[in-house]
Amino acid sequence: MAEQKVELFARNLDHGVQKAVRSNSAAGTEKRYSVLGNDYTAPDDLRRLAGQIRQHAIEHLDTYLEQAEQSLKRQGAHVHYAVTAEDACRAVSDILQKAGAKKVVKSKSMISEEIHLNDHLGSVGIESVETDLGEYIIQIDGDHPSHIVKPIIHKNRRDIARSFEREGLGDYNDDPETITRRARVFMRDKYLQADAGITGANFVSAEGGRLVLVTNEGNSRFCLAAPKIHIALVGIEKVIPSDAELAVLLNLLGRSATGQQLTVYTEFINGPARTDRPSGPREMHVIFVDNERSKILASDCREILRCIRCGACLNVCPVYRQASGHAYRSVYPGPVGAVLSPLLAGKNFKQLADLPKASSLCGACNEVCPVDIPIPDLLLKLRNRGHEEHAPSPGTPPMGAFAKLASSPMLWRFAMKSNKVMNLVPLEKLPLPYLQPWLKTRTLPEWRGGEFRTWMKDRRKK
Amino acid sequence: MSTAREQILSSVRAALAPLPERTPRPVFSKDAAEPQWLAAEADSIALFQKRAEATGTKCFTDIESCAAWLRSQGVHTVYIPAPLTRLASLCAEFCKVTSEYTRACVNEIDAAFTPAAGAIAESGTIILSDKSTPDRLAALAPWHHIALVSRAEIHRTIADALSAMPDDPNLIWVTGPSKTADVEGILIQGVHGPGAQACLIL
Repeated sequence: MAEQKVELFARNLDHGVQKAVRSNSAAGTEKRYSVLGNDYTAPDDLRRLAGQIRQHAIEHLDTYLEQAEQSLKRQGAHVHYAVTAEDACRAVSDILQKAGAKKVVKSKSMISEEIHLNDHLGSVGIESVETDLGEYIIQIDGDHPSHIVKPIIHKNRRDIARSFEREGLGDYNDDPETITRRARVFMRDKYLQADAGITGANFVSAEGGRLVLVTNEGNSRFCLAAPKIHIALVGIEKVIPSDAELAVLLNLLGRSATGQQLTVYTEFINGPARTDRPSGPREMHVIFVDNERSKILASDCREILRCIRCGACLNVCPVYRQASGHAYRSVYPGPVGAVLSPLLAGKNFKQLADLPKASSLCGACNEVCPVDIPIPDLLLKLRNRGHEEHAPSPGTPPMGAFAKLASSPMLWRFAMKSNKVMNLVPLEKLPLPYLQPWLKTRTLPEWRGGEFRTWMKDRRKK
Repeated sequence: MSTAREQILSSVRAALAPLPERTPRPVFSKDAAEPQWLAAEADSIALFQKRAEATGTKCFTDIESCAAWLRSQGVHTVYIPAPLTRLASLCAEFCKVTSEYTRACVNEIDAAFTPAAGAIAESGTIILSDKSTPDRLAALAPWHHIALVSRAEIHRTIADALSAMPDDPNLIWVTGPSKTADVEGILIQGVHGPGAQACLIL
């Protein structure tokens, strides 16, 4: 039988990588669990509240998006819109070229991965440096992040030391502290030389006209401290009604992502520099990117737009832990990626229609989600859509015979009764190699097919 | 660009129009996300110190011990903004003191004092604004950053701080030193920002 692509990837995955992904994910899950449990008597109530906040926001996006635009403009920011990934890339390079910018520093942003911004900027001759340590290593290796929050969870210190040596950042040294110091020195010059800083945004408060940006390393702060132009790429779904909602969302984001009460740096960007506040970038551009999001909003999977990109569902997922992020063949891995990636693929949905099947539907992703996204339900809806659109479905067992049996009461009754013959078959002697290891330690219960129906019939008579 | 705007807004409107009803805006109390242990903490200043220390921010309540710490750290050049003369004279005993922060000396200054715009007790967070910290780099580039926190400006909770955001192009909440765990999940401090974060409560 053909195998699912995710399964195949997991089987061929390097053992060391698999071990690293598994232990790092498990540690993330443990940390989240103990912090939330220690801080809240009813963390699930808080998750449900956050879910309602986000659901309300996306279901009123028509109002909030326009409000956010007005608030941001009032603060002196330029607001742009981009329908597709290509439009978004072009919007960025247009702004940079108009300003004569040649060098750019970038803070980690999933949407810039989604639109392949670095490739585009490279193609128009603009140097773009990822400043998050993990993302920088991804960039110099020509690799892709394999986790939303921990992009190089699949690499070890020796891999990184070799990459740094190759890039001329010093002799081979795999001490994590040395690696980090070298990145600090290297980035320092990049920040100071850069013409522009590019960031994403974790939230946009519509009423306050603020972008909210969280990092632990402080790299986004540097991108907004040294360069004179700030460009923020923001998915349209990031908008929330006001600052008040942040009390709930920020408290859940840090704890869910890394087990921290708050991420180290939480930045509230309210506009470009002013004459009385000259420190920041003089120009601020916000690019609201659709890239299939409005179509997701129109679909029956709109709940996925609540996502705040904490990565908790990746950490807890048995399939992610076994297969790692690259198994998902897309920017967003794990349970959230299994829903989001096929939807973001738009016309190419079928190419990723196998992802929703890479799940045991155990529901752990929903239980840890800070915004209570019913991921298993969405996976089922997408499986259904894949079936309706005749997407290829390797690894699905043929259900034809069972379907026939189950749809005819007479055949079903007959099968139930006649299978009693199974009790007489010496299973351990059957020439079925797949079955034998199992049968060595277990026995099948006695076949009692049909007894329930008989019991029901008797009961009805009474 | 206006066409892209119209296109996106009309797709959003079209996506939402068929919904029979939309999720109402949830009403929640300001303390909805407060940790359960908060109520037992009567003194906000003591709580701030406790939480700050827990996230790796050193707290000092007098100028002398703060200066002694910097001396023990082997600091070479410290930036101290103009009005803090006593602090400046204490530091001048063991290192170079400057009251000007410029791009040219970004890599030279290894410790900097900047006034905070406030703090949050619940999370041990220091709040910096462009008004309080006129050069963002001063609070970011040096290995040691010491925020000057005024007792009167310590908010009790995150929600309190959110409801009292000053008018400023940029606010940053700093909760501990710059951190990463990107390499094998091992925690390293001082990636891009300060490796040693401190505050002097006055």
